[in-house]
Amino acid sequence: MAMTELLLDPTGMEEGAQDSTLSPRPVSLKGLTIGLLDNTKPNATLLLEEIGRLLQRHYGAGESKLYTKDYFGTPAKDELLDRIADEVDFVITAVGDCGSCSAASVADGILLERRGIPTASITSDSFLPSGEAMARVMGFPGFDFYAVKHPVASLSSEEIKDRAQTALPELLRILGVEE
Amino acid sequence: MAQVTDPAVVDAAFKEFADMVANDGYLLRWTPDDDEKLVVTIDAGPDACADCLVPLPVMESILSTALEDTPYTLSRVVLPEGEGH
Repeated sequence: MAMTELLLDPTGMEEGAQDSTLSPRPVSLKGLTIGLLDNTKPNATLLLEEIGRLLQRHYGAGESKLYTKDYFGTPAKDELLDRIADEVDFVITAVGDCGSCSAASVADGILLERRGIPTASITSDSFLPSGEAMARVMGFPGFDFYAVKHPVASLSSEEIKDRAQTALPELLRILGVEE
Repeated sequence: MAQVTDPAVVDAAFKEFADMVANDGYLLRWTPDDDEKLVVTIDAGPDACADCLVPLPVMESILSTALEDTPYTLSRVVLPEGEGH
Protein backbone atom coordinates (compact mmCIF):
# COMPACT_ATOMS: atom_id res chain seq x y z
CA MET A 1 0.00 0.00 0.00
CA ALA A 2 1.36 3.37 -0.95
CA MET A 3 2.16 5.68 1.96
CA THR A 4 2.10 9.42 1.79
CA GLU A 5 3.87 11.78 4.13
CA LEU A 6 3.23 15.46 4.69
CA LEU A 7 6.42 17.41 4.03
CA LEU A 8 6.71 20.88 5.49
CA ASP A 9 8.23 23.51 3.25
CA PRO A 10 11.08 25.09 5.26
CA THR A 11 10.61 28.35 3.36
CA GLY A 12 6.86 28.63 3.96
CA MET A 13 6.49 29.37 0.25
CA GLU A 14 3.71 26.95 -0.70
CA GLU A 15 1.72 29.76 -2.28
CA GLY A 16 4.70 31.31 -4.03
CA ALA A 17 4.02 34.70 -2.52
CA GLN A 18 6.38 37.48 -3.55
CA ASP A 19 4.89 40.39 -1.61
CA SER A 20 7.55 42.65 -0.13
CA THR A 21 5.22 45.29 1.27
CA LEU A 22 5.23 45.92 5.00
CA SER A 23 1.93 46.08 6.82
CA PRO A 24 0.84 49.53 8.05
CA ARG A 25 2.90 50.57 11.09
CA PRO A 26 1.20 51.47 14.36
CA VAL A 27 3.15 54.69 15.26
CA SER A 28 2.11 54.20 18.92
CA LEU A 29 1.73 50.97 20.90
CA LYS A 30 -0.73 52.42 23.42
CA GLY A 31 -3.39 49.83 24.19
CA LEU A 32 -2.32 47.49 21.40
CA THR A 33 -2.31 43.75 21.99
CA ILE A 34 1.14 42.18 21.82
CA GLY A 35 1.70 38.80 20.19
CA LEU A 36 4.77 36.90 21.35
CA LEU A 37 5.63 33.98 19.05
CA ASP A 38 7.89 31.54 20.87
CA ASN A 39 9.79 29.02 18.76
CA THR A 40 10.61 26.80 21.80
CA LYS A 41 14.36 27.50 21.76
CA PRO A 42 15.94 27.91 25.22
CA ASN A 43 15.33 31.36 26.69
CA ALA A 44 12.92 32.39 23.92
CA THR A 45 9.99 32.61 26.35
CA LEU A 46 12.01 34.60 28.86
CA LEU A 47 13.27 37.03 26.22
CA LEU A 48 9.83 37.55 24.69
CA GLU A 49 8.07 38.00 28.02
CA GLU A 50 10.65 40.53 29.15
CA ILE A 51 10.24 42.49 25.91
CA GLY A 52 6.48 42.35 26.38
CA ARG A 53 6.82 43.74 29.92
CA LEU A 54 9.06 46.58 28.71
CA LEU A 55 6.61 47.49 25.95
CA GLN A 56 3.75 47.59 28.45
CA ARG A 57 5.68 49.53 31.10
CA HIS A 58 7.34 52.13 28.88
CA TYR A 59 5.14 52.34 25.78
CA GLY A 60 1.66 51.63 27.12
CA ALA A 61 1.14 48.43 25.16
CA GLY A 62 -1.87 46.38 26.21
CA GLU A 63 -2.30 42.69 26.94
CA SER A 64 0.33 40.24 25.72
CA LYS A 65 -0.47 36.81 24.30
CA LEU A 66 2.14 34.08 24.10
CA TYR A 67 1.99 31.58 21.23
CA THR A 68 4.21 28.54 20.82
CA LYS A 69 5.26 26.93 17.55
CA ASP A 70 5.20 23.15 17.10
CA TYR A 71 8.74 23.06 15.77
CA PHE A 72 11.47 25.69 15.67
CA GLY A 73 12.99 24.69 12.32
CA THR A 74 10.09 25.54 10.00
CA PRO A 75 7.71 28.49 9.75
CA ALA A 76 4.64 28.40 11.97
CA LYS A 77 1.63 26.64 10.47
CA ASP A 78 -1.01 28.68 8.68
CA GLU A 79 -3.61 27.91 11.36
CA LEU A 80 -1.43 29.43 14.08
CA LEU A 81 -0.45 32.44 11.96
CA ASP A 82 -4.11 33.08 11.10
CA ARG A 83 -5.06 32.86 14.77
CA ILE A 84 -2.31 35.28 15.78
CA ALA A 85 -3.34 37.70 13.05
CA ASP A 86 -6.93 37.60 14.36
CA GLU A 87 -6.01 38.14 18.01
CA VAL A 88 -3.17 40.68 18.23
CA ASP A 89 -2.07 44.02 16.80
CA PHE A 90 1.65 43.38 16.41
CA VAL A 91 4.08 40.52 16.97
CA ILE A 92 7.59 39.79 18.22
CA THR A 93 9.06 36.41 17.17
CA ALA A 94 12.06 34.75 18.83
CA VAL A 95 14.55 33.41 18.94
CA GLY A 96 16.54 32.38 15.91
CA ASP A 97 19.79 31.13 17.38
CA CYS A 98 20.49 28.31 14.94
CA GLY A 99 20.51 27.99 11.16
CA SER A 100 17.04 26.60 10.67
CA CYS A 101 15.31 28.51 13.46
CA SER A 102 16.73 31.88 12.45
CA ALA A 103 15.46 31.33 8.91
CA ALA A 104 12.10 30.21 10.27
CA SER A 105 11.79 33.18 12.64
CA VAL A 106 12.32 35.57 9.75
CA ALA A 107 9.85 33.57 7.66
CA ASP A 108 7.27 33.89 10.45
CA GLY A 109 7.79 37.65 10.42
CA ILE A 110 7.26 37.87 6.68
CA LEU A 111 4.19 35.62 6.75
CA LEU A 112 2.66 37.75 9.52
CA GLU A 113 3.44 40.98 7.65
CA ARG A 114 1.62 39.48 4.67
CA ARG A 115 -1.37 38.97 6.98
CA GLY A 116 -1.27 42.67 7.85
CA ILE A 117 0.45 42.33 11.24
CA PRO A 118 3.56 44.45 11.98
CA THR A 119 6.20 42.02 13.15
CA ALA A 120 9.72 42.21 14.52
CA SER A 121 11.64 38.94 14.23
CA ILE A 122 14.64 38.25 16.43
CA THR A 123 17.59 36.10 15.42
CA SER A 124 21.07 35.99 16.92
CA ASP A 125 23.86 37.86 15.17
CA SER A 126 25.75 34.65 14.39
CA PHE A 127 22.84 33.61 12.18
CA LEU A 128 22.14 36.91 10.48
CA PRO A 129 23.01 35.51 7.02
CA SER A 130 20.44 32.75 7.42
CA GLY A 131 17.69 35.26 8.19
CA GLU A 132 18.71 37.55 5.34
CA ALA A 133 18.79 34.67 2.88
CA MET A 134 15.38 33.41 3.99
CA ALA A 135 13.99 36.87 3.26
CA ARG A 136 15.49 36.71 -0.25
CA VAL A 137 14.12 33.21 -0.83
CA MET A 138 10.66 34.38 0.28
CA GLY A 139 10.68 37.31 -2.14
CA PHE A 140 11.21 39.94 0.56
CA PRO A 141 14.88 40.95 0.22
CA GLY A 142 15.91 43.49 2.83
CA PHE A 143 13.18 42.46 5.27
CA ASP A 144 14.17 44.18 8.50
CA PHE A 145 14.69 42.10 11.63
CA TYR A 146 16.74 42.33 14.81
CA ALA A 147 19.89 40.32 15.52
CA VAL A 148 20.56 39.90 19.22
CA LYS A 149 24.09 39.16 20.38
CA HIS A 150 24.86 35.42 20.25
CA PRO A 151 24.47 33.25 22.31
CA VAL A 152 21.04 33.34 23.85
CA ALA A 153 20.40 29.79 25.07
CA SER A 154 23.07 29.81 27.77
CA LEU A 155 22.24 33.19 29.33
CA SER A 156 20.96 33.79 32.86
CA SER A 157 17.64 35.55 33.41
CA GLU A 158 19.47 38.77 34.28
CA GLU A 159 21.47 38.57 31.05
CA ILE A 160 18.26 37.97 29.10
CA LYS A 161 16.78 41.12 30.65
CA ASP A 162 19.83 43.05 29.43
CA ARG A 163 19.39 41.62 25.94
CA ALA A 164 15.72 42.64 25.96
CA GLN A 165 16.55 46.16 27.07
CA THR A 166 19.23 46.48 24.38
CA ALA A 167 16.85 45.16 21.72
CA LEU A 168 14.04 47.58 22.50
CA PRO A 169 15.05 50.64 20.38
CA GLU A 170 15.60 48.49 17.28
CA LEU A 171 12.35 46.57 17.79
CA LEU A 172 10.47 49.87 18.09
CA ARG A 173 12.15 51.17 14.93
CA ILE A 174 11.19 48.01 13.02
CA LEU A 175 7.61 48.32 14.25
CA GLY A 176 7.49 51.96 13.18
CA VAL A 177 6.80 53.30 16.66
CA GLU A 178 7.43 57.03 16.94
CA GLU A 179 6.79 57.70 20.63
CA MET B 1 39.74 16.64 -12.23
CA ALA B 2 38.87 20.30 -12.54
CA GLN B 3 41.13 22.79 -10.78
CA VAL B 4 40.30 26.06 -9.07
CA THR B 5 43.02 28.56 -9.80
CA ASP B 6 42.59 30.53 -6.60
CA PRO B 7 41.15 28.44 -3.74
CA ALA B 8 41.69 31.30 -1.28
CA VAL B 9 39.06 33.34 -3.13
CA VAL B 10 36.52 30.57 -2.63
CA ASP B 11 37.48 30.03 1.01
CA ALA B 12 37.06 33.74 1.67
CA ALA B 13 33.70 33.83 -0.09
CA PHE B 14 32.38 30.93 1.96
CA LYS B 15 33.92 31.95 5.30
CA GLU B 16 30.87 33.70 6.76
CA PHE B 17 28.61 30.78 5.92
CA ALA B 18 31.17 28.22 7.11
CA ASP B 19 31.43 30.07 10.43
CA MET B 20 27.66 30.15 10.72
CA VAL B 21 27.08 26.43 10.17
CA ALA B 22 30.01 25.69 12.50
CA ASN B 23 27.91 27.23 15.29
CA ASP B 24 25.48 24.35 14.76
CA GLY B 25 28.27 21.76 14.57
CA TYR B 26 28.58 21.42 10.79
CA LEU B 27 31.64 21.64 8.59
CA LEU B 28 31.77 23.01 5.05
CA ARG B 29 34.07 21.79 2.32
CA TRP B 30 33.98 22.38 -1.39
CA THR B 31 35.31 20.79 -4.55
CA PRO B 32 35.31 21.92 -8.17
CA ASP B 33 32.69 20.31 -10.38
CA ASP B 34 34.12 21.84 -13.49
CA ASP B 35 36.34 24.86 -13.98
CA GLU B 36 33.89 27.43 -12.69
CA LYS B 37 31.31 25.41 -10.79
CA LEU B 38 31.64 24.26 -7.20
CA VAL B 39 30.10 21.44 -5.20
CA VAL B 40 29.65 22.34 -1.54
CA THR B 41 29.47 19.49 0.95
CA ILE B 42 28.17 19.91 4.49
CA ASP B 43 29.41 17.34 6.99
CA ALA B 44 27.95 16.81 10.43
CA GLY B 45 30.50 17.09 13.23
CA PRO B 46 30.24 14.99 16.39
CA ASP B 47 28.17 17.65 18.18
CA ALA B 48 26.01 18.69 15.24
CA CYS B 49 22.51 19.87 16.15
CA ALA B 50 20.34 17.54 14.09
CA ASP B 51 17.46 19.93 13.46
CA CYS B 52 19.43 23.15 13.23
CA LEU B 53 20.90 23.05 9.74
CA VAL B 54 19.94 25.92 7.46
CA PRO B 55 17.21 24.84 4.97
CA LEU B 56 18.59 23.89 1.56
CA PRO B 57 16.95 26.74 -0.45
CA VAL B 58 18.31 29.23 2.08
CA MET B 59 21.73 27.62 1.96
CA GLU B 60 21.77 27.77 -1.85
CA SER B 61 20.82 31.44 -1.75
CA ILE B 62 23.60 32.28 0.72
CA LEU B 63 26.26 30.31 -1.16
CA SER B 64 25.26 31.64 -4.58
CA THR B 65 25.27 35.20 -3.27
CA ALA B 66 28.66 34.64 -1.64
CA LEU B 67 30.11 33.63 -5.01
CA GLU B 68 28.75 36.63 -6.91
CA ASP B 69 32.03 38.53 -6.73
CA THR B 70 34.14 35.52 -7.75
CA PRO B 71 34.56 33.76 -11.11
CA TYR B 72 32.74 30.73 -9.69
CA THR B 73 29.13 29.57 -9.35
CA LEU B 74 27.42 26.99 -7.21
CA SER B 75 26.80 23.63 -8.86
CA ARG B 76 25.04 21.85 -5.97
CA VAL B 77 25.04 21.28 -2.24
CA VAL B 78 25.53 17.84 -0.71
CA LEU B 79 23.91 17.55 2.73
CA PRO B 80 24.72 15.10 5.49
CA GLU B 81 22.88 11.81 5.23
CA GLY B 82 19.39 12.09 6.69
CA GLU B 83 19.15 15.84 6.15
CA GLY B 84 16.25 15.87 3.76
CA HIS B 85 15.55 19.59 3.62
